[in-house]
Amino acid sequence: MKTAVCIKQVPVFSDGKMDPEKGVILRDGLVSAMNVYDLPAVETALRLREEAGGTADVFSMGPLQAADAIREAYAMGIDQGYLLSDHAFSGADVLATSYTLAQGIKGAGKYDLIICGRQTTDGDTGQVGAAIAQWLHIPYAGGVTAIISRKPDSITLQQRLDDEQVTVKMSYPCLIAVDRSIYISRMKSLPGKIAARKKGVAIITLQDLEDHDPQHYGLSGSATKVEKIYPPERTHKEPIMCLNTADAVNEIMKILENSKAV
Amino acid sequence: MGRSLIFPIDDKYQSYLSDESHLTGFADSISFPGNEEEIRTVIAQARKSGQSITIQGGKTGIAGGAVPQGGHILNLSNMNQVTSFRTTEEGLFLLTVEPGVTLLDLTREIKKLDAKEELFWPPDPTEPSATVGGVAACNSRGLTASLYGDAKKYIYAVRVMDADGKTTEIICGNQSGKAQSGIADVSKVHLGGEGMFGVITELTLILLRKPREIWGICFFFSCEPDAFSFAERLVLYVEEPLGAKIAAAEYMDRMTIDMIEERKPNTSSIKELPDVSPDAAAMIYVEIHGADEAAVEKYAEELLEMAEACHVAADATWAVSGEYEVEKLRAFRHTAAESANLYIEKISHTYPGICKLGMDMNFNGQSLASVVSYIKESAEKNGLKVCIFGHIFGNHLHPNILPDNLEQFHKGQEIILEWAAASNKNPGEQNREHGIGKVKKQVFLSTVTEGTLQQIEQQKKTLDPRGFWNPGNMIDT
Repeated sequence: MKTAVCIKQVPVFSDGKMDPEKGVILRDGLVSAMNVYDLPAVETALRLREEAGGTADVFSMGPLQAADAIREAYAMGIDQGYLLSDHAFSGADVLATSYTLAQGIKGAGKYDLIICGRQTTDGDTGQVGAAIAQWLHIPYAGGVTAIISRKPDSITLQQRLDDEQVTVKMSYPCLIAVDRSIYISRMKSLPGKIAARKKGVAIITLQDLEDHDPQHYGLSGSATKVEKIYPPERTHKEPIMCLNTADAVNEIMKILENSKAV
Repeated sequence: MGRSLIFPIDDKYQSYLSDESHLTGFADSISFPGNEEEIRTVIAQARKSGQSITIQGGKTGIAGGAVPQGGHILNLSNMNQVTSFRTTEEGLFLLTVEPGVTLLDLTREIKKLDAKEELFWPPDPTEPSATVGGVAACNSRGLTASLYGDAKKYIYAVRVMDADGKTTEIICGNQSGKAQSGIADVSKVHLGGEGMFGVITELTLILLRKPREIWGICFFFSCEPDAFSFAERLVLYVEEPLGAKIAAAEYMDRMTIDMIEERKPNTSSIKELPDVSPDAAAMIYVEIHGADEAAVEKYAEELLEMAEACHVAADATWAVSGEYEVEKLRAFRHTAAESANLYIEKISHTYPGICKLGMDMNFNGQSLASVVSYIKESAEKNGLKVCIFGHIFGNHLHPNILPDNLEQFHKGQEIILEWAAASNKNPGEQNREHGIGKVKKQVFLSTVTEGTLQQIEQQKKTLDPRGFWNPGNMIDT
């Protein structure tokens, strides 16, 4: 079984400073790590490989330092990492990002299953997985909370749809976006971490892709442009009350009753 | 007493009668001064009413140092400002803060400083809600003390107010106060003095450049002798590669791991860590700091070899790097202490009077194996549960007795005295990382040398002849 996982390097903390021209977060000097929602996606791929054999690879798009996120995946046990990195890819929105990743995955081999995390902590759209599936013309299931069974030609999984859980059987190739609750991801092991630093990352540039028209990538290939990034203004302040125990209990009960919570 | 500054102890202030040791005290009134002038007013009022003062910071202490024994509680949590930052000509980074700044806020404020390099304050007693004043009062050490040393090493100056409301600026290490007080370096009395000699109203901290590389590694052992063997090798290992040093080496037994695992689902800082294998009998956490990634990695490789020789499954180790990720493993270690404290909190609801039965012991000159075996056998013989964790260097362990009832609690109190006597010749002089307070006083007094005790009593007589400050801490007054 051949599995690909899409991962992203994101800032661990950000004060929301953005490039006014491109409308993207300024990442220089920020501590970065693999997006936490991608960790269960990597874990899912590794567990499937442990059960069914085959390979588990990762794909990421970003500047060259995003290779560090791929090394994190190596330290967890991933076989091969591909980094789509080219000046032409910068400033991409969901449309252009998903197209770039789809092109990269398509060019790297024939994958049975592509796994994405639920969303990223910086872009937060949660739409890249579905868009990749669309570009590759393969079925997609989001909100996957469990892998129920796996066969040589298909996978059966549990998917959360608003208020209900459904069981879905999908034929390969297909793409799933896993919920964070699917697995607690494994830690990097020390030998894995040491080996990861020495392992190469395959860099894919625009010229390596089947479609190398720069107009289809980055800012040029994007359908949307971010005007402004800013933290939401706090308009509601919760009052702090200092009361004795009996009064505090009465006050809490009043609030709960007013909000119809009880 | 002034209405807006001093409040009588009523229902609302009950939580201020206790700290993390779960020892509960009593007091007449409490204040939350916001500046030195308000402290001075409170002191004057307390003096007028013949009350003593107990100083409080974050109430995170586990020795009951901030638990009042009557009188007034001077809570410094509102004195929480970072006041200035400067770099000296000698290249020292000095940050002046009020005593109520928590370690969490301190870290945040340091990040915001207009410094060219990333800086940090090394003392790290792992509890982020502890205040700088509390850390100074206990001269805390924490996780990385084997590399960085104790808190007083990173305090440049303190401003102290006495019972007359007079403030004195003390440059640490300066011996000019000798003529006046007869004490060579009065800063040493206040740092680690548990608030018994005056109230610290301001501290100037020495910040260091952050190490460029930080790695945290957890090694799991399927049997305790393997963990002990690894610990011995760590202690004896002298060929540290240039540019990398071990900053922390922590031991944790299975009982501690189980307590952490139980709390994990409800502890946000660690709930996303995977479960520790049920086969693990013990864990050792090692943190490496260095300026150079290659040197740190080389050290990690050597540790891996050493661990494999002690039958560690290499693939089952946990290894992370960078402050953000290392923080998760530190949080795991911190939950050890917190779990023991919460166990006591829970049982004290059923059996009021039970408080922390933890120790802060150096077993210098003995092997970790013999120390852990001794504690476990002693606890077992007396029908007591015990969890053991702590610092490998210096065998500075924190065994915590977990009593099921009052009878076991009283038995535990006796056993801890036995352990203290067995720990080493002068434990009272060495084991004050958490403070002595009231909870550990009996153990301290049973083991402290006559000379040290006399010295402390003399200092108290000189600096606080009326017994105004923090009565009940450390010595009988």
